[in-house]
Amino acid sequence: MKRLGLLYLAAQNLRRKPFRSFVTIAIVGLAAGTLFSATLLIGSVDRSLEVGMERLGADLLVVPEGYQESGQTALITGAPTSFYMDGAVLGQVSSISGVDQASPQLFIESMVSSQCCTGHVQIVGYDPGSDFVINPWLAQNLNRTLNPDEVVIGSLILANKGEQVHFYGHNFDVAGVLDATGMGADESVFMSLDTAYLMAAESAQVAESPLDIKPGTISSVLVKIAPGANIDQVSQRIKTTVPGTMVITANELSRSVTDRISGFKRGFIAVDAIVWVMSLLTIAAIFSMIVNERQREIGLLRAMGSTRRFIFRLMLAEAVILTAAGGIAGIFVGGAALFIFKTVITSSLGIPYLWPPILTFVELTFITLSLAVFSGAVSSLYPAISSSRLEPYAAIRQGE
Amino acid sequence: MTDEARTDDAMIVLKDLSKAYKVGPSTVRAVDSVDLEIPRGQMVSIVGHSGSGKTTLLSLMGGLTKPSSGRVIIDGINIWNLSDKEMSQLRNEKIGFSFQFASLMPTLNAMDNVSLPSTFSGRPHDNSRAVNLLKLVGLEDRIYSYPEQLSGGEQRRVALARTLMNEPRLILADEPTGDLDEETEADILEIFRRINGEGVTIVIVTHSRAVASQAERALRMHRGHLSEEADVGASRP
Ligand SMILES: Nc1ncnc2c1ncn2[C@@H]1O[C@H](COP(=O)(O)OP(=O)(O)OP(=O)(O)O)[C@@H](O)[C@H]1O
Ligand SMILES: [Mg+2]
Repeated sequence: MKRLGLLYLAAQNLRRKPFRSFVTIAIVGLAAGTLFSATLLIGSVDRSLEVGMERLGADLLVVPEGYQESGQTALITGAPTSFYMDGAVLGQVSSISGVDQASPQLFIESMVSSQCCTGHVQIVGYDPGSDFVINPWLAQNLNRTLNPDEVVIGSLILANKGEQVHFYGHNFDVAGVLDATGMGADESVFMSLDTAYLMAAESAQVAESPLDIKPGTISSVLVKIAPGANIDQVSQRIKTTVPGTMVITANELSRSVTDRISGFKRGFIAVDAIVWVMSLLTIAAIFSMIVNERQREIGLLRAMGSTRRFIFRLMLAEAVILTAAGGIAGIFVGGAALFIFKTVITSSLGIPYLWPPILTFVELTFITLSLAVFSGAVSSLYPAISSSRLEPYAAIRQGE
Repeated sequence: MTDEARTDDAMIVLKDLSKAYKVGPSTVRAVDSVDLEIPRGQMVSIVGHSGSGKTTLLSLMGGLTKPSSGRVIIDGINIWNLSDKEMSQLRNEKIGFSFQFASLMPTLNAMDNVSLPSTFSGRPHDNSRAVNLLKLVGLEDRIYSYPEQLSGGEQRRVALARTLMNEPRLILADEPTGDLDEETEADILEIFRRINGEGVTIVIVTHSRAVASQAERALRMHRGHLSEEADVGASRP
């Protein structure tokens, strides 16, 4: 046996005007969805930066002069690059005061036709002797170093541990998959420097488009500075004493991401503020319309013995039902849109991305929903109050 | 003190009751210095020309509009001393209104419309009572119809059934047989007579002689003034 309660009456009223209800839901959904997905995006970028920087494990990155920009992009988004300098740079960097550890890396772009991957991936050769980024991971997860013809891959490379990947005519065994960082490493394949040189040398015979990389060539030097040393000073010393090089600092890297996203952040705040204000005004307009056209019904309900409080709550309930529905719809659509267009968004903005932990999702869902419900309550407050204040007889007459 | 004593056996007491509306620069005295006492269990008819103030008077009796001056005492209670909650409760439990115009909630079917008053009284919800009342007004086969699917007369009968839902001790009916044929009017009158027989006080505003003649007491409104009609078989105590 159903009870003719407040919610039932409210729902019946909303059902009577499906188009208007839909429009209200859509408007609130738009506001909530924008807020939800954009906040998620921004939060994920921040998180990804944090994780990615920590995983990078280096304070400085020395690259050939002129490749600062593409080096940054490669680190952040994994867009494959190749630039080379002489291996002698390593020695020069190592000898600079304030440099604690230095380890070379070699960047090679994979060919598009490589079987494992849909697009380019970055092949990174590292030096097992001096490396302080991959080695710790290997020690922890594999408990050994990589054999020749073995690779570890980033989390977004489409292969599993134990499978094989193919580059430049070579087969490599996947020894492990690194954890997601949201940054370029996720789309990179790591192998030892020697393996990389060997692959390059043999590519002349076995690959469709051979590589021209002489042994000893490197792309970058990862630097960890000595405790107490000043990053900027060390960076300055490297630039002046090692000709033909540029230095990317971890700070610069994250600043570059912050720069890329700050315009987006500002734009988003402006857009979302406008959308919220508009939806508040629209709901207020819709609900004062509703109150006007329902004056007579309100008068009748009062004549039958409903209190002012009941009328007030009825009007509020109708608004809150709609805005809550809008909030839920917005969260779903916004979340889905972000999920679907994530790659497009992140690569066009050149920003890293890492899905946030589930708790953040829950929190953000809660906040968005509360905001939607709150907007419904606030914008219908005046119509709700004025409708509850109507004298029954006047309301009934005016509605005639 | 004497007021209180007299009020005790009266369902409705109106004292020097007026309702004036400001329309532009002039004032319309819709109800003008009305004194009236209706004992419990009486069936009263009110007639009068259009615009004479009948509906306004009925609304004052039911606390739907605030008097400009004077007092409305229902069942011994000066209703304008009540809080909104108490007033709502009084309307809900003691008074059954039937309006001059179609007054159903368009979003609810006939049964839900009839049940509506019980929603506000916190009683256990009882559809069977609503169905019985619809049967009483001859609409047992229109239980699930929505107002827009009912004729004017059918809507009026549903509204009448709703009036009876909470077993009110006072019924205020504004032209309850307005657009009904004679036969249906007679049925409705029969219902009024029956519940009047159970001691319910009934005030009916009507243009129908047949209806007016059923009342034990007839009143006439004329430009806001109320007077007793002599010619109807009044049996005033
Ligand atoms: N809210 C209002 N503002 C101004 N004038 C009003 C208002 N309500 C009623 N009146 C006036 O008060 C007078 C009495 O109206 P009322 O509705 O009580 O008449 P009535 O006797 O019920 O008429 P009818 O038989 O046509 O229903 C009318 O002249 C009407 O115009
Ligand atoms: Mg009238």
